Amino acid sequence: MFRIGVDVGGTFTDYTVLDESAGQVYYYKVPSTPDDPSRAIRDGIAQLLEKYNIEAEAVSHLGHGTTVATNMVIERQGSPIGLLTTKGFRDVLEIGRQARPNLYDYSIGKPIPLVPRQHRLEIPERLDVEGNIVTPIDEQKLIEAITALKNADVDAVAVCFLHSYRLPDHEKLAREHIESIMPNAYISLSCEVLPEIREYERLSTTVLNAYIGPRMQGYLEQFLNRVKELGIKIAPLTIQSNGGLMSVNTVRKYPVRTCLSGPAAGVVGAAEVARVAGFENLVTFDVGGTSTDVSLVSGSRPLFASDRSIADYPIKTPMIDIHVIGAGGGSIAHMDDAGALKVGPKSAGAHPGPAAYGKGGERPTITDAHICLHRLNPVALLEGRMPVDKKAAQDVIEKNVANPLGLKTEEAAHGIVRIVNANMSRAIRSVSTERGYDIKEFALFAYGGAGPLHAAELAVECGIPKIIVPQEPGTMCARGMLLSDISLDFVRSEISEANENSWKRVCELFDVMVTEGHEWLEDENVEENKRSFVRYIEARYQGQNYEVKVEMEAIHSNGLKEFLILFHKMHEKEYGYDIPDRAVEIVNCRLQAIGSVPKVQQRPQEKKGSLEDAEIGKRKVYFGSAFGWVDTSIYSRSALPIEENFLGPAIIEEMSSTTVVLPEQSVEVDSFGNIIIEIKA
Amino acid sequence: MNKNKKFEKTIGRDFDPIEMEIFSNRLMAITEDMGNQLVRSSFSTNIKERRDCSVGLFDKFGRCICQGSNMPLHLGSLLGSTNAVLERYSIEEMSEGDAFICNDTYLANGTHLPDISIVTPVFLNGSVQFFTANVGHHSDVGGRVPGSISGSSKTIFEEGIRIPVIRIARRGNIDADLLNLIVNNTREPLERELDFRVQIATNERGAAMLEELARQHGLSQIENAINDLIDYTQTRVRNRISEIKDGEYSFTRHMDDDGFMGELVHIKVTIRIEGEAITIDCSGSSPQARGALNLTSSGLNAAAYYAVKSILDPQLLPNSGLFDSIKVFSPSGTILNPEFPAAIGARSITANKVAGAIFGAFEEILPKERLMAASHDSVPVITFSGQRERGQDTYVYLESIGGGNGARHNRDGMDGVQVHTTNSTNLPVESLESEYNLLVDEYSLVEDSGGAGKHRGGCGIARQIRALGENITFSARSDNHVTTAPGIFGGSSGDIARLIRNYGTDKETALDSKVSVLELKLGESVRMETAGGGGFGSPKNRPLEKLRLDLISEKISPTFAEKNYGAAMVRDALSIDTRQLWK
Repeated sequence: MFRIGVDVGGTFTDYTVLDESAGQVYYYKVPSTPDDPSRAIRDGIAQLLEKYNIEAEAVSHLGHGTTVATNMVIERQGSPIGLLTTKGFRDVLEIGRQARPNLYDYSIGKPIPLVPRQHRLEIPERLDVEGNIVTPIDEQKLIEAITALKNADVDAVAVCFLHSYRLPDHEKLAREHIESIMPNAYISLSCEVLPEIREYERLSTTVLNAYIGPRMQGYLEQFLNRVKELGIKIAPLTIQSNGGLMSVNTVRKYPVRTCLSGPAAGVVGAAEVARVAGFENLVTFDVGGTSTDVSLVSGSRPLFASDRSIADYPIKTPMIDIHVIGAGGGSIAHMDDAGALKVGPKSAGAHPGPAAYGKGGERPTITDAHICLHRLNPVALLEGRMPVDKKAAQDVIEKNVANPLGLKTEEAAHGIVRIVNANMSRAIRSVSTERGYDIKEFALFAYGGAGPLHAAELAVECGIPKIIVPQEPGTMCARGMLLSDISLDFVRSEISEANENSWKRVCELFDVMVTEGHEWLEDENVEENKRSFVRYIEARYQGQNYEVKVEMEAIHSNGLKEFLILFHKMHEKEYGYDIPDRAVEIVNCRLQAIGSVPKVQQRPQEKKGSLEDAEIGKRKVYFGSAFGWVDTSIYSRSALPIEENFLGPAIIEEMSSTTVVLPEQSVEVDSFGNIIIEIKA
Repeated sequence: MNKNKKFEKTIGRDFDPIEMEIFSNRLMAITEDMGNQLVRSSFSTNIKERRDCSVGLFDKFGRCICQGSNMPLHLGSLLGSTNAVLERYSIEEMSEGDAFICNDTYLANGTHLPDISIVTPVFLNGSVQFFTANVGHHSDVGGRVPGSISGSSKTIFEEGIRIPVIRIARRGNIDADLLNLIVNNTREPLERELDFRVQIATNERGAAMLEELARQHGLSQIENAINDLIDYTQTRVRNRISEIKDGEYSFTRHMDDDGFMGELVHIKVTIRIEGEAITIDCSGSSPQARGALNLTSSGLNAAAYYAVKSILDPQLLPNSGLFDSIKVFSPSGTILNPEFPAAIGARSITANKVAGAIFGAFEEILPKERLMAASHDSVPVITFSGQRERGQDTYVYLESIGGGNGARHNRDGMDGVQVHTTNSTNLPVESLESEYNLLVDEYSLVEDSGGAGKHRGGCGIARQIRALGENITFSARSDNHVTTAPGIFGGSSGDIARLIRNYGTDKETALDSKVSVLELKLGESVRMETAGGGGFGSPKNRPLEKLRLDLISEKISPTFAEKNYGAAMVRDALSIDTRQLWK
């Protein structure tokens, strides 16, 4: 049987195929088709089925990651929607947290609300913090409002009432009326999308869900049809931003959970590949053309974010915490008028691209710098299919950087690389100290087209002792689709002081969520012995307004004491102290329902070949003023022998990436095919 | 001026832009690490959630190397604290493991008493080479009222504990007696103590990182990079200033009163440009306030640094290269340079008016594209205090509310945002209601509050809160009940702010902009409506589709529209085909 992972990106659609019986992995790539992304999915799968001689019936798993939802928000191509909300609060969506987007720069304005004010309609109704009805809902006004939205031709309706996470009745009543008045409208209720305290984030998430809902239905239909056309019999799955997979039916209800999901699969894949290789704490480092994604993996588990946003619209569904740095291969180096050399955030992108690519780029980029230094192949990339113009790269760097600074071209190029490494290093340090981690205990997991180019110098700058470069680093996200489980997150928000009384309620809430979890897993066709649940309680000391997440192995009626012990311990670990005699408040109860998907272990490979055989050439590579130009061996990655240690300098080339090893760094390929680089302290 | 000429000047001597940029990142990584540590480990909501804190690195001469902050009002305030320490003690008198604490305005360059600084000397090779510093806004430091700040306080003695420069840690040991004395002069001793310990630990962490950096790269290399960084910043500021034509440009913003009912207060700013130099002269501003609206030099400098950075070059690094390039002057005995023991607690309203006046003075200087009509230029604060339902203690709920932002040449002003020297976030309604026995009736934008214009000023915010229990008190410090945010190039002013008790009932009464400890009965409400921003360009030139959208979205009423845009424009706007707009 064969398992297929597909990652639809902006430029390319990547595939990873795992042959379960042979334990072998194939990688494939076709250009994306942004007008109808499902076309590239179909064409690519059809091609690889043919290429590797696979029967459609033999496909036992199809996991796919899509940027359809993300792009809809970024390009503001969602559907016209209306909002029903509590009387007095229609502007919550527009006020947000009332902070301006940039502290100093007033040319940057706030994002335009996804629902215009005239379509945000207020309904007389009000609940208090315990879910008691303060003002009963005015059904006549509700019907009038829905009729008005119908007349305004909206395609979807979002409903978010204050404190609906405590009592969903008013929102559910709204749904009944919407269904009867606007039978074709897509409906998004906050009590279902995110039943969690803090109205603005819940509202924003619910509105995003409605905004992308209608068009996502269309995409999913096409996608299902394409899969059917191929003759594939199994139900395909979609990756969500928590790194888990879900069925098409669940995506229909919660399309917002696919926003920012692509990179999440890469992190899940990284965590699993590194776990097998014996590394459990990672900084994942994914460098693309315009940006770099960084995240942390601790104990083989990716860290989750409490708040992220897409195009400045907050989303609060559980997500892998990925930080985006505005620096990538296309970032432009420039001198400012006071004499500083800056790199980025402007990028030459794919067009015009780096000068060396000959598509009209006239400004020096990081890629041009790597070509000048001979770190990137100065003749051709992509296994010889893409010629590069080294002279053009040298010229732009000489003219724009080296001459003004009175430096040699290679010194200027190296300066550009060092500056971008310093930018990235600062971002990586900040990501780890924000969460209280010591970066020295982490390994750098480098992927994306350009991650392995920067990793060696970056690790030195950050003080990270080891680097892991997986096979075909450019297709890591598609590989992640094969290593993800099916999962969905559930939450209940009820603030109460932790005592014997409230603990009973906590137990009830978890019982309800476990029942819901089983129902959902049943719908996803997960057998009972493959199901598991992870439970968290988010709590705080009285007087605090932020929570600590406590993982509970189980929740039972006499578990209060154990929870309190864990809470104090966790607070100590997270913030450096605890206050044992202070009252504790429980805020959120969370459950993650998991259906485990069989993960075929990567098989250790046989030791074969020799270093000499793997060497495909030598070229002079520049390693900074201390080393200058050094005669450096160039290796073909696929030919490198397993578990044979050698010293840098070295350049290791493969189809989707190039790995740089600095002089005196030690490197070897482990038995799973990963490159491991050790940095001398 | 010839750009290349300036360029050559910069890259004279041993200027190394590559090393400078790399070290700039390494130094900022240290301040970011310190900032993360401070926010992560602090207990109080004000420091942790609202991030009302800043961190900085200084050299042994007291020059600011770099600063990390979410509060522009802290720009340069750490500079004040560090220099207060250096004035009190010579570096020879300091030992490894020492830390200093201070907050006092008149004795230690503080901006107001709740902002408490910790300054720690960093030793390399046995002598002081640097300082790490941080400041946090502590939500109560004792004094006459909960939260310590009241517009109607008359002297600093009413505003809480005064801390001159004190050595709070000696050779690595925190002076527990002193700490005890300080925290027990506040209403929340436990929170204070936890946060002070975190502030001290934050500086130690920064110091350790500086030591590590020096060990790896050598002190002299760091020093070179720091000199380059400060010189570079200075050159960049000077380049921006030399692009402006020489001359004097004045602007006056007003405040309703000085904390007690009376005459309008003038905040007058004159910008003097001479070649590469800029002076901000506040002569002509009103005399010292009777209430707590006075702004002392640290706060005044911060407002000036903020405004110049924001207007001329938002990317400028906040270091001494920027600060030293801007001369600020204000005569003694005025609201912008008060004499001891004038109260200063509510200085943020004044600081925002100063920033607004500097923005105004640049109207004559810069091209249209870089200007902005006036914003609400205030920091309206409401405070409710009562008994906690869970637990027995008193709560103090404090919130500053955003208002209308000024319009720009290419867009309407932002609705409902914080401006200038502050940018704190709101407390979610649902969190507020879970924490306190209060109910929010409304949180919305105020109709007709943004000034009319080709581009409309931003709307103010209405926040109406009802007491759900007895013995709840309400206080407010605000402004703009009389003065408004002026428009620009023919745009109209934004609307005034209001404070109303029991809005929409037969007991409705208007309140003054400063309210001190008003008792609310069960079911009574208070509504604050903040001021709108000014418009940009003549209302006659407002595109009809935008006018129409204002009307159908009810950001303006038909009456307001007819008065400001004329009946004919309103008629034309309303006759546009709606479907086309919507699609």
